[in-house]
Amino acid sequence: MAAPFLTGCAGPLSALAPEGPAARGAVRLWWIMLAGGGAIFLVVSAVLMLAILRPAALRAFGPRRIILWGGLVIPTIILAALVTAALALGERLLATPRPPEDAPLRIEAVARQWVWEFRYPGGAVTFDRLHMPAGRDVDFTVTSADVIHSFWIPRLGGKIDAIPGHETVVRLRADRPGVYGGVCAEFCGTGHAAMAFTVEAHEEVGFAAALAGEVEE
Amino acid sequence: MSGRELLLLAAGFTLWAVAFVALYAMLSVGCRFGWDGIDLAGGVTVQRAQLVTLFLAFLAVGAWLAVHLRTGPRAPFLSRAAYLAALAGLGSIVFSFAAVFALSECV
Ligand SMILES: [Cu+2]
Repeated sequence: MAAPFLTGCAGPLSALAPEGPAARGAVRLWWIMLAGGGAIFLVVSAVLMLAILRPAALRAFGPRRIILWGGLVIPTIILAALVTAALALGERLLATPRPPEDAPLRIEAVARQWVWEFRYPGGAVTFDRLHMPAGRDVDFTVTSADVIHSFWIPRLGGKIDAIPGHETVVRLRADRPGVYGGVCAEFCGTGHAAMAFTVEAHEEVGFAAALAGEVEE
Repeated sequence: MSGRELLLLAAGFTLWAVAFVALYAMLSVGCRFGWDGIDLAGGVTVQRAQLVTLFLAFLAVGAWLAVHLRTGPRAPFLSRAAYLAALAGLGSIVFSFAAVFALSECV
């Protein structure tokens, strides 16, 4: 019965099918929030049923205690847990500086209406097709040539804004070789919906070969 | 009911909102000017120091507001509500912004 709903969770743009550590963190938080939200919904429903079916039981608990527990103590505990989880996961997504010897590969992404341009170390350039090595961190330096866009590869991690005149960095990693989808995630004009790109994560050798192939084109 | 009472009712969370905008703005300003790279003393950067100072300043104003609006349970409803809202606003300032002590500054 769940099949028709769950088929929407697969595919090249599914944030629920993570293929890298950043996306896995986001998915973990998503599941925590879904479970927490579900539990709160059940408890509230139960209290509502109690109010309808056994009002005396609620009355015995007393309005002051209902407000104190239901309005202050329990929400504070839940919010504190969610905030802590979100901040801890968020910290791990940051592109913190590393010593040069294990500095991640840098790939520049330049967005413009309505195409993605990717520039690699060594001078190769590709459009709407991103090559990256699998199994190691890559820092994407993202900027825009016109309006604000947003760089998003849902299966690898969170999105980051592409802002004209400013560089933002997002650190992503693909666990294994594969083809993933990327999109512009910030409305940027009439071509926004079609502003997608393909991500090809290669083995180390394949990555070099793919770039060499692109240069000759 | 006077306008003053309504304003006092909103005072606690208005302060929270001002603190939010101020910290967010100064975080961005500090990162733009590279204050996270300037070490003050013992590993504390200019960026961290200015954010913590701002946080403590808003904490002090919030505490002053709560003390100022303080009333007993028998006070008129709006005065009582303004006091409790100021307390809630003070708690929210701690809850939302105390992370300036620990989180990464800029990337
Ligand atoms: Cu766009």
